[in-house]
Amino acid sequence: MGTIRIPSARGSFRVWQRNITIFRKYWKSILFPNFVEPLLYLVALGLGLGAFIQQGGINGQPYVQFVAPGLLASNAMFAASFESTFNTFVKLKIDKIYDAIITTPVNAEDVVGGEYLWAGTRAALYGTAFLATIVVLGIVFGQPLVTSWWALLLPLMLLVIGVMFSVMGTLFTSLIERIDLYAYYFTLVVTPLFLLSGVFFPVDDFPAPVPQVAWFTPLYHAVNVCRELATGPSPAVLADIAWILVFTSVLALIPVQIMRRRLIG
Amino acid sequence: MNTETERTTGTLSGEHTLVARGLKKSYAGFEAVRGVDFRVSGGECFGFLGPNGAGKTTTMKMIYGAVIPTGGELTVAGLDVYHHEREIKRRIGVVPQENNLDDELKVEENLLIYGRYYDLPRKLVLRRAEELLDFMQLSEKAEATVEQLSGGMKRRLLIARALLNDPEIVVLDEPTTGLDPQARLLVWDRLRELTAEGKTLILTTHYMEEAARLCDRLVIMEGGLIIAEGTPGALVEEHVSPQVLEFRTDHRSLEELVPIIEAASDAVERTGDESILAYTEDADALLERVRGSGAKIENTVYRQAGLEDVFLRLTGRRLVE
Repeated sequence: MGTIRIPSARGSFRVWQRNITIFRKYWKSILFPNFVEPLLYLVALGLGLGAFIQQGGINGQPYVQFVAPGLLASNAMFAASFESTFNTFVKLKIDKIYDAIITTPVNAEDVVGGEYLWAGTRAALYGTAFLATIVVLGIVFGQPLVTSWWALLLPLMLLVIGVMFSVMGTLFTSLIERIDLYAYYFTLVVTPLFLLSGVFFPVDDFPAPVPQVAWFTPLYHAVNVCRELATGPSPAVLADIAWILVFTSVLALIPVQIMRRRLIG
Repeated sequence: MNTETERTTGTLSGEHTLVARGLKKSYAGFEAVRGVDFRVSGGECFGFLGPNGAGKTTTMKMIYGAVIPTGGELTVAGLDVYHHEREIKRRIGVVPQENNLDDELKVEENLLIYGRYYDLPRKLVLRRAEELLDFMQLSEKAEATVEQLSGGMKRRLLIARALLNDPEIVVLDEPTTGLDPQARLLVWDRLRELTAEGKTLILTTHYMEEAARLCDRLVIMEGGLIIAEGTPGALVEEHVSPQVLEFRTDHRSLEELVPIIEAASDAVERTGDESILAYTEDADALLERVRGSGAKIENTVYRQAGLEDVFLRLTGRRLVE
């Protein structure tokens, strides 16, 4: 009692393994919406809206090339957010899957650790598929959307970004009793981040305090990282990566403790 | 990892495998378990009886680490629950009250996933899964998804799952609730086989027949306390007279009868507006007295006193929720 619990690598791996086993049975049936949605945004905004932003694009970049990596980051946010909210809630409160797991040598803290890893993995899997698609689309339309070999690091970064949003989603999940309260999380947290973190327009060009406020939000840094890796990074990307790592590690142990208290009376 | 090497097959009989002293659990403003003591020996089947809300499930959960006690001592397989969470869980099996199987997965896959939580090698899990599905008569359903199983089959699968790690102690929280009579007999039979193998069983139940048939010893809990303890036979002997007569008649006649019956028997329990149970050493004498009174009786049933009578006597007839 009272001690801070840290997930074990072994236990977390077992929980991750359970999730991937189930995912392998269903990935085909759920890949489609996860994959098509960012593609719709890319077509509608990148090509549609982009047609009106022809001259000079954004900071010299064609608009569709500007939007694509941002969508990569936001796609990772959505994948990890759904996983750590609705999916986790069902396992916690409805199917009682965690109650079964914690009667084995896998502890409650391992359950949360495993869910972080899994949400990150899912974000990386979907993100990588989307990345491959935009690379191909770029080649097909003669308008390269990814121009740097640094993009090979993107799957790893999407995993890290996924874990970050999983920690946030799990924190919300650990605090609520009813599934309909997620409407608040998505309307007040996820959607504003999606619209205001530099996915669709460069936040940095706005007057103060807009860039300063954006600096405190997670997706802003995730978008910066993806955009830099897609087109060749400047050293500034290290600051964004550091922000993500610090934010994630500071927050990560809080849902672990709250969830443990919910699972163990 | 260290799964096969340190496993002991059963526990030495007579050695206390479960010991609780002054065990307590309180939540904000509510004491679920208010200081209980019990000792369970290796190879024993030990039962917890009691009305809903008596603290049985909380006690079970303290044994398997899903609830942390707020006071007292509890050792499981010789290990202190406060400090050996993982080690205890490695050595016990749990059949929870609620079904928490992975519904979308096949029966066999449920066991395979569960085996990984214990770090059991896949080959060993496959072999044990086959044996256990056979043991619980589920072999034909190995390829079915859990969703396709009946309630009784899910319950049997939960028992099979709890045995996957070859536990020394199996904790069963209402293992036969909701089962049809055939399935219940199968489960009873299997649980007896497990004790014959030397496993220790801890179970809660609402069925007195189940407790009487399975348990070597049992405790009756009420309001977070243990109010009686002993073998089923000793509890009956200690708490109720050996013979029971149940009288049924209309409400008005019953009111007239009650004083006569009360005077002539050791104890009575009103079981409704139109029936009453009378406990006595000599049923014939009681019956003669009642008939001699000339009151109208519609129906009389005679039987030997059992655990159910002890339970009613000790926990009262009112409905506890």
